[in-house]
Amino acid sequence: MSTQPIDTSIYTTITAAIRTEASRLFTAGEIVAIVGYAAARRKGAAQPIIITDAAAAETLVFTESCVNNLAVYLTKAKKEIPKNGKIGIIVKGCDLKALVGLMGESQLKREDLYLIGIPCAGVLASTAQPATELTTETIASKCCECDAHLPLGCDFVPSIAFPPGPQLESRYSAEIARLEALTPAERWAYWKEQFAKCIKCYACRQVCPFCFCEQCLCDRNKPQMVDTTPRPAGNTAWHIVRAMHLAGRCAGCAECERVCPMDIPLNLLNRKMAKELKELFDYEAGFEVNDTGPLTMFTEKDDQSFIK
Amino acid sequence: MDNTIKHDFEPKIIAFVCTWCTYAGADLAGTSRMQYPANVRVLKFPCTGRIDPVFILKAFQQGADGVLVSGCHPGDCHYIAGNFHARRRFAAFRKLLEFIGVDLNRLQFSWVSAAEGGKWVEVVTDLTEKVRTMGPMVEFKELALEEQWSGAIDTPELREAYDAI
Repeated sequence: MSTQPIDTSIYTTITAAIRTEASRLFTAGEIVAIVGYAAARRKGAAQPIIITDAAAAETLVFTESCVNNLAVYLTKAKKEIPKNGKIGIIVKGCDLKALVGLMGESQLKREDLYLIGIPCAGVLASTAQPATELTTETIASKCCECDAHLPLGCDFVPSIAFPPGPQLESRYSAEIARLEALTPAERWAYWKEQFAKCIKCYACRQVCPFCFCEQCLCDRNKPQMVDTTPRPAGNTAWHIVRAMHLAGRCAGCAECERVCPMDIPLNLLNRKMAKELKELFDYEAGFEVNDTGPLTMFTEKDDQSFIK
Repeated sequence: MDNTIKHDFEPKIIAFVCTWCTYAGADLAGTSRMQYPANVRVLKFPCTGRIDPVFILKAFQQGADGVLVSGCHPGDCHYIAGNFHARRRFAAFRKLLEFIGVDLNRLQFSWVSAAEGGKWVEVVTDLTEKVRTMGPMVEFKELALEEQWSGAIDTPELREAYDAI
């Protein structure tokens, strides 16, 4: 498939719209802060920013470099956020799914948030070269299989007509299908090689909106369930535990995969689990707040064909 | 009954059982003088709902060749719904292990009630014999060995030490 550019002209309109809305919100005193994106130093780059007044609204942008899932700022750092008003947050569809998941787990309250949704045509896979044009080649894998271009249930979404985009290849589905077709030994060899690269920097945990435990099971040493050193056995255990703890919760923002300095295909495990939970329990991460996930509830008729 | 068969390989089977049903079932098998392989090491938990998937992982890492998880039949849980939750969790966990490349024949789930001493014997015997034909579980042990020697087993000395484990 030849590389085709993806039309990102809507992002200019979106940037203007969120600036106007942010300015209005601060002036009207509806919110105390906005978690959003601002231009970073390198040309084309963007970085997360928290603004607290109308004057700073002009710094907000939305471009194809706005890769971060800002939901993480409302879980891990939320204790430092003064509770004296609503917080505005700029969310893409995938980020909103994460926020919805966090609301379902009673980490956030909908009434404390002002959601500014972004109709998103896709973001870059990597911001190592931030001035890169968004094409079918450079687009993030998560965006190729995105079913949430338009976030639903937000307080404000700029009204935009999506330009028709090129057909994108389903990278995760294809890779999962490839691995599933292998023998267990071949799959073990594949993952052994991938996990061997891990340096246990825990960037995947740090960036994940759902890894909000105050003490991670993998950091505990009485009893020590997972070896903490970056060696093969502990790495494998860490990634299995991570995938299991995110099963039925992961919103698919793929931040883990993006931040991994060793390029371990972490989201592949998450997508696989999402696929299995869809098949087993007909569950998918979405825009609707549910206070139970697929692994925190049950029905009496659940499949037990694997149990003797 | 011939008790003198010598096998080349005696698998280590770790059984995570719930105290109310399967542990009592295994106890019944014992008091009824039923014979079952001594390969199984039973670990007692309050409920299958308490059995974290990480325990299974840890068992394999520490040298188990097979793992059995057993508890009350659905609807019989002492804590009302522990086994229902466990059933979903393990359904998901075995899919994950399968994707990572672990042979699921080494991992058995069962419901054994306090009255089913015979079923306990059957489940344990089946799993032990199945794992015996499959041979030792080397995948996780090899990972642990790489930690110590950071390399493949390519010298006779290392091979000998490995085989002695």
